Amino acid sequence: MRAYQDMVFSTAARLAGNETQAEDIAQEVFIRAYEHFSDLRSSVTAGGWLKTVTTNLTLNYLSRYRKRWRLFSELRSTAEDGDSDGPELDWEVPDTILADLSAEQRAAIVDAALRQLPDHQRLPLVLYHFEDLSYQEIADKLNVSLTKIKTDIRRARAALLPLLQESGGARDTLDS
Amino acid sequence: MNKHEADQKLEQTLKQAFSGLPSRRAPGTLEARVVSELQRRAALPWWRVSFANWPVSARVAFVLICAALVAATILGGASAYLGGRPWNEAFALVLSWVHPFLAVMSSAGGLAAMLVRVIPPLWLYGGLGLGILLYVMLFGLGAAAYRTLYLWPSSAGNDL
Repeated sequence: MRAYQDMVFSTAARLAGNETQAEDIAQEVFIRAYEHFSDLRSSVTAGGWLKTVTTNLTLNYLSRYRKRWRLFSELRSTAEDGDSDGPELDWEVPDTILADLSAEQRAAIVDAALRQLPDHQRLPLVLYHFEDLSYQEIADKLNVSLTKIKTDIRRARAALLPLLQESGGARDTLDS
Repeated sequence: MNKHEADQKLEQTLKQAFSGLPSRRAPGTLEARVVSELQRRAALPWWRVSFANWPVSARVAFVLICAALVAATILGGASAYLGGRPWNEAFALVLSWVHPFLAVMSSAGGLAAMLVRVIPPLWLYGGLGLGILLYVMLFGLGAAAYRTLYLWPSSAGNDL
């Protein structure tokens, strides 16, 4: 458990954007792992199994609430998605960002910025960038259209960039 | 730079920023929580855990008892209603319920048709619109309550 607990907690926390929920999910993941211990103890894919179960449990956890309010979110997103490709980026995209910070500093800034995104943007973005799923796999997992997934990820990136730039700038100022 | 190129550049920039990020450290209490929960679940008697984890003999017995209860209820009800009548009489008794039932349904349908003819269409559309409005208002109140009582407090907690 000690070998995987950081990975499981980290996956759940980045997806859920909430540490309390992530701890509940991580607990459930390890209880399920205990129930399958005879299969996992000698498996070389135990890490992959744990990551998949964590991802699925987190999505189930969030969808308990999401399903009840899907009507509103779909209505809202339909209204907002007048342009199906999303808005133009109205600022210059830098070549690198947070490049001069340590991995720990970058992780803290990225996690804080991810928590500020709404669920419908954070989930597909994390699944794409951190879990290496394709757009189609994300659309299937979240049970929404491929177009909406692409739009949500584009918007999430566009929302994340200024948050990272602000935080990175603030960190640079503090460090200097 | 066009929109597509800007999007691709942003994706690459973020990929670079996300690459090699360490995992977040799990809370020190996680291991103790898991062990405690496993001990709690292990201490539960078999009838308090999910049906899938019951002993096979208990599952079989439960299914047989349920089936016997359902059969006894159906047979008991039927015999109480039909008494000791022969089959043809019992069948006729059951059929005798069909005609009154169809008559009631037909009357209800006739009443509904008459009401549609008598009530002005404007009233019907107005009533329908009012019903939809009340339904939407109910959802709106629910959404407002959800955002106020659930989403905002949890968002506030994230900032701590």
